[in-house]
Amino acid sequence: MIKRVLIANRGEIALRIQRTCRELGIETVAVYSDPDRNALHVRNADYAVRIGPGPALESYLVIEKIIEAARQTGADAVHPGYGFLSENARFVDACAAAGLTFIGPSAGAMRALGGKVSARRLMAAAGVPIVPGANDISADDFATAEREAARIGFPLMVKASAGGGGRGIRLVERPGDLANAMRAAGNEAAAAFGDATIFLEKYISPARHIEVQIIGDAHGNVRAFGERECSIQRRNQKLVEEAPSVAVTPEIRARLCAAAVAAARSCGYQNAGTVEFLLDRDGNFYFLEVNARLQVEHPVTELVYGIDLVALQILVANGEPLPDAGAAMVPGGWAIECRINGEDPYANFAPSVGLIDFVDFPAGPGVRFDTMLYSGLDVPVFYDSLLAKLIVWAETRERAIERMRRALRDLVISGVQTNAPFHLALLEHPDFRSGDVSTGWLESTFTMPPLPEGASPAEDGSLATALIAGAIAAGMLAGGAQEPASARGITHWVQAARGISRRGLRVDGGTTGWRRGTASR
Amino acid sequence: MATRHRFQVDGVTHTVTVEVAGDESGGRMTVAIDSAPPVEVDVTASGVLGLFSIIRGGSGGGTSGGVPARAYVARDGRSFRVVVDGRTFVLAPADAGRPRGASGGASDPPGTITAPLAGVAVEVRVAVGDRIEARQSVVVIEAMKMQNEVQAPHPGVVTAVYARQGVRVEKGELLVEYAPDEA
Repeated sequence: MIKRVLIANRGEIALRIQRTCRELGIETVAVYSDPDRNALHVRNADYAVRIGPGPALESYLVIEKIIEAARQTGADAVHPGYGFLSENARFVDACAAAGLTFIGPSAGAMRALGGKVSARRLMAAAGVPIVPGANDISADDFATAEREAARIGFPLMVKASAGGGGRGIRLVERPGDLANAMRAAGNEAAAAFGDATIFLEKYISPARHIEVQIIGDAHGNVRAFGERECSIQRRNQKLVEEAPSVAVTPEIRARLCAAAVAAARSCGYQNAGTVEFLLDRDGNFYFLEVNARLQVEHPVTELVYGIDLVALQILVANGEPLPDAGAAMVPGGWAIECRINGEDPYANFAPSVGLIDFVDFPAGPGVRFDTMLYSGLDVPVFYDSLLAKLIVWAETRERAIERMRRALRDLVISGVQTNAPFHLALLEHPDFRSGDVSTGWLESTFTMPPLPEGASPAEDGSLATALIAGAIAAGMLAGGAQEPASARGITHWVQAARGISRRGLRVDGGTTGWRRGTASR
Repeated sequence: MATRHRFQVDGVTHTVTVEVAGDESGGRMTVAIDSAPPVEVDVTASGVLGLFSIIRGGSGGGTSGGVPARAYVARDGRSFRVVVDGRTFVLAPADAGRPRGASGGASDPPGTITAPLAGVAVEVRVAVGDRIEARQSVVVIEAMKMQNEVQAPHPGVVTAVYARQGVRVEKGELLVEYAPDEA
C-alpha cells in the first residue's frame, strides 16, 4: 500500500494531488526548483526536496534528481502530474528500477501509444476509427508524400511522428505547399524530439475535439467516464473545457466510450488516461491520440461523475479493482473549466509575469478554484502560463455559464494581466452560448472585443469603476480628512500599498521549521 | 465637500469629482466622471486593504441593478493600478507625460533595443560590431515556454550587447545598443 508519494510536479496540479493524498492519509513529498522555493506546493507538502535551478531541464525534467529525492525521503510511489516527466517511459522504468510505484500507465503502454504512428496502427488493429492518412514518411521524402497526399486529398495535416504539445504540426491546403510544410514540421520535430519522421492525416473540418476519460485496473477492468468537450483552443492549446458536450448524444457517447475502452484494452492500459477524438458534424469520430496521464481538465469529469480521479489512480496503483466496474454511467449536470493564464488578451496574449500583490478567489455553490497563486507570489518565467483553473458545476449548461461569469467577476488577480477578460467575452458570444463551435472556431471567428480606445467611462463600466476606485484611494492617501467614510484603516493601507507596490511580500529562505521533515541538498 | 482627482488612462485624462454624503459612517457618495452627470455611488471598503465594492447608481438616482463591481487598487509608483472585471487599468497622474504605447523591440526609438516583456534571454543573435537591419531578430526571450523574437527597429551597427544567454531580463531592460544609420 502506498504510504508516501513523491509528486514530480509543481503548481496547481501538485497541490491538487497533495489534497487527495492528505484525505487518504498518504504523506507527500514535494520537489522544487530555486524559483519555486516559496511555492504553495512546497509549503503544503510533508517533505520537500530542492532539485535544482529554474529551467525545467535542470530540475523538474531530471529523472535522476527526482529518483534521488524519493530515495532520500523514503517515498514509495511517484505521481507525475501532467507535463514534465508524466509521459516519459524512461522515467517509468527508472521508478520501477528504484522500487517505486509509478502512479500511471506502464512504460510499455506509454511506448505503444507515445509514437503517434505506432498508436495509429494499434488503434486500427483494435477497430478504433482513425483519421485517414499515411504513416512514417521521412521529412525529405517528397515523392512519397506527394503520392500519399494525392490519395488522402487536401487539405491535410503534416504531423511529426514524435510530436506533442501542438509542435511539429502544419496544415497544408494546396499540393504546392506540401514540401515547405514537411521541412518546417520536420525541422521543428528534429529540434524538439530528435526525430524528423512525419505522417500525413486528412484534415477533418469542421470538427470538435472530444476526449474520453478512461481508467484501467490490474484486473482487466476499464471504465470510461464520458466525454469532455475541448474545442475552444488557441494555437493548439485548450482554454475552456466542458463536460458533457452539447454535440454528444447518449448514442454517440456509448460509441465513444466503447471505442475508448477498446483503445485502452489494445495495449493493456492501466491507470488514468484520456483518449482524444475528432468528432465531425455527422457524429463520426476519429482517434487522435491517447494522453497517458492525468489531464489539466480532469476536474470537469470529476464534477459530472462525482469521482476523485486522483483517488482512483492511487487505488488502481495499489492493485485494487475499480469499484462498480460494470455500472452504466450518466453525467450529472454540467461542468465548465476556464484556464486562467498569465497572458494579456489585449496584447495578442503575450505572456504576463510578475509579482502577484493580491488575489481574491471566487467561492460559493458549484465553484472550484485550483491554483498555485497567493498574494506575494513572484510568478516564475520558466514554466507555462497556467496560473489557475476555475471550474464550475451547475444543473444545466446555461446555469453553468452564468455561474462561470459570476465567478470570473468575483476573481481578482492583481500584479499580472490574466486572460479573464477573454473568458468573459467568450462566455457572451452567441456561438459559444449555443455550443456551435469547432476546433478552428476560436481562431477563425472569435475576436477579442477591442478595448474602447479613449472611450468615455459612460460606455465602459469597468473603466468608470476603476476611476472611482482610484479617486477613493487617492483621497485616502491624500490624508483621509476629505474622505471620512473611507478613512478607517488608512495607515495600514498606505503602508501595505507602499510595501506591496514594488518590493512585494517575499518570504525568503523560509523553507525549514514548519514541516515535519525536510531534506535539502 | 467635493474633491477632484485627475488621472490619465491610456493617454486620455479623466476627471473624477467625489462628494461624500453627509453621513460619515456610510460609503455613499456622489461621483461625476468627466462631463457626465453625477451619479450616486455606494462604496464598501472591504476587510482587505485596497479592495472595494462599488455600486454605481444611475443619474436619475436609481441603481444599475444593484450589482456591486469589485475593484482592487494598488499603488505603483505615482500611479494606481486597478483591477476590475479581470482588466488591469493604470491610472497615471494627469501631469505624467503621454504614456508610451507599445515599447521594446521594434517599437524602440533609434539607438537602443529594450525587452518588450520579462523572461529569459535564451538566444543572443548579435555581437558588438555586427550590422543589423530593421526587423532583424537580435535576441530571443522565452517566457512561460513561449519564445519571443525581439527585433531591431532600425538598421545600424551594434555597439554594446547587455543581454546574456540564460539570464533573466525585466520588461523594459536594455538589451542592445547600436549606432543607427543616418536617415
